[in-house]
Amino acid sequence: MAMASSEKSHSAPADASWWRGFLRGLARSWAFLLFFAGFFLFWQYAIDLFGIPAYILPRPSEIVTRGWADIDRLLYYTYVTAVESLLGYLVAIVIAVPLGLSIAFSSFLRRTIYPFFVSLEMTPKIAFAPLFISWLGFGLLPKVIIVFLVCFFPVVLNAILAFGSLSEELVRFIRATGASPWRAFFRVRLPAALPQCFVGFKYAAINATVGATIAEFIGSDQGLGFYIQIVTGNMRPDLAFAGIFLLTLLGLALFGAVTLVERWVIPWHISQRRSR
Amino acid sequence: MTAAAIEIRSATKTYASGIEAIHAFGPSSLSVGPGEFISLVGPSGCGKSTLMLMIAGLLDCTSGEIDVGGHVVTAPETSIGIMFQDNTLVPWRTVRGNIELQIELRGLPVAQYRSTVDRLISSVKLDDFADRYPYELSGGMQQRAAFCQTLVHRPQVLLLDEPLGKLDAMTREAIRRDLQALWLADRPTVIFVTHSIEEAIQLSTRVCVISPRPGKIERVIDIDLPWPRDLAIKRSEKFSAYASKIEEIFHGYGVL
Repeated sequence: MAMASSEKSHSAPADASWWRGFLRGLARSWAFLLFFAGFFLFWQYAIDLFGIPAYILPRPSEIVTRGWADIDRLLYYTYVTAVESLLGYLVAIVIAVPLGLSIAFSSFLRRTIYPFFVSLEMTPKIAFAPLFISWLGFGLLPKVIIVFLVCFFPVVLNAILAFGSLSEELVRFIRATGASPWRAFFRVRLPAALPQCFVGFKYAAINATVGATIAEFIGSDQGLGFYIQIVTGNMRPDLAFAGIFLLTLLGLALFGAVTLVERWVIPWHISQRRSR
Repeated sequence: MTAAAIEIRSATKTYASGIEAIHAFGPSSLSVGPGEFISLVGPSGCGKSTLMLMIAGLLDCTSGEIDVGGHVVTAPETSIGIMFQDNTLVPWRTVRGNIELQIELRGLPVAQYRSTVDRLISSVKLDDFADRYPYELSGGMQQRAAFCQTLVHRPQVLLLDEPLGKLDAMTREAIRRDLQALWLADRPTVIFVTHSIEEAIQLSTRVCVISPRPGKIERVIDIDLPWPRDLAIKRSEKFSAYASKIEEIFHGYGVL
C-alpha cells in the first residue's frame, strides 16, 4: 500500500486509501456494531423466551423474510415517500433561505414577519395535515405541502440567525474596507452564515420523512406511511416493521446526503474537522 | 510645519441608551504628526476603543471633529489600516487568502499585490504557514497573520486596538519587537491601544494617559528613548522613571 503515491494515472491509490479509510472506520465503530448486533440478537431470542405472539411483535428474521416477499411493493412505496420528502424539503430550502436572508437584513421584515414566524413555530405544523388533505385530495401536492411546512421553519429560523449574527469585528472590517454590499456578501457574509444554515438543513432533513409519513397516514393510497397503516390493520406487524425499517433508511439517506454536502461546502468549519 | 496625520478637535462621544445617556469619551484634543507612534493607555471602559472607532470613521463624534490625512472624517476611513483585539481572520480562508481578503474587499487586483503578500508573510515568519487555516495556527501566529491583513493595502495610518491583548507574555514580547521593526522600517502613523504601561513606553513616541470614564486624554508624555528599544533599554533607569510616572498618574485616578 505504501507504493501508492508514485503513480498518477492509476486509480488504485485512491481506491486503496478509500478502502483503508473504510477499514479504519469499521475498526473505530466496532463497539457500535457489536451493540447493534446484540440488540437484534436479543430481540430475536427474547420473543421465544417471553413467549410473545407474532401478531404482537415479530422476530427480526421474520421481518426480513416476509418483507423480502413483498419487496416490490415496499420499494415502490419507498420511492413514493422519497419523492414527497425530497420535493417538500427542496422547495422549503429554496424559499426559506432567501426569506431568512431578507428578514435578517430588513428591520421592517424583522418587526413584522419574524414574530409571526416565531409564533407559528410553536404551532405543531402537522396539525394542518388533515386540512390540506381535505382541500387538495389524496395526491402528491398535499404531502409536499406538509413536508414543506415541517421543513420550512427550522430552515428559515436558522437562516435568520445565520445571516444576522456576523461578529461586530467583521462588520467593522467590511465597513473599513469600503466594500460594496455584493462583494461583502459573497466574500464574508455568505460563507460566515453557511454553518448555521446547515444546522437548519439537517434539522429539516430529519423532519422531512416524518412529515411525509404522517401525511400518508391521514390520507393517501400509496407510500410507506399508507403501507404501514394498512398492514397494521391486517395484523401484519412484521410488514409494518419492514416499512419502518425502510423509512429509517430513507431518513438516514437524506440526512447523510445533507451531511456530505455540508462536508463538501464548509470543510473548514469546526464541526467538520476530524482529528487524524 | 507639516500637516498633522490625525487631528482630534474636542471630540466627544455620548451613547444614548434608553433614558440615560452614557458619556463615554471626551472632550479631548490631540494632534498626531506623520510617522508618530502614539499609545493610548487607560483603564478598562475608559473609551480608548471608542476614540479609535471615531478616528476610523466607524463611529460618529457626538461633538467636535477628527481629521485624518487632512480631511474631516465623516464616513468609514478606507485609507487606514485597522486591527481589533479579536482578529478578523475568517476560518474558510488560509493565511494567504485572509490577507488577500483585504485586497478583494477593496476591489483591488489581487495579482498586483502578490509580492507584497509574500513579503509580509516572510516579515512575520509565517512562510511555512501561508497555506494553513487560522485554526491550525497558535494565537500568536494568528495575530501575526492579522497584522499582514491590516498592512497589505499599505496604509499610512494604522489603528491597533489591543492587538496583543489576548496573547501570553512571551508571545507579546516577540510580536512587540516585530511591530517595532515594522514601524521603524516604514514609519507609518500608529495609534496603539493597550492596557500595558510597559508596552506603551517601549513602542511609542508619545503616550496618552486616558482618565477613567468619561475618558479624556489628560496627560501626553513624550518618550525620549533611543530606537530600537530592546531589553537593555527596558532595564534602563529612564524607562523605569517613565513607568513610575505613568503609574503614579493612574494611582491618582484610584485605578492602580
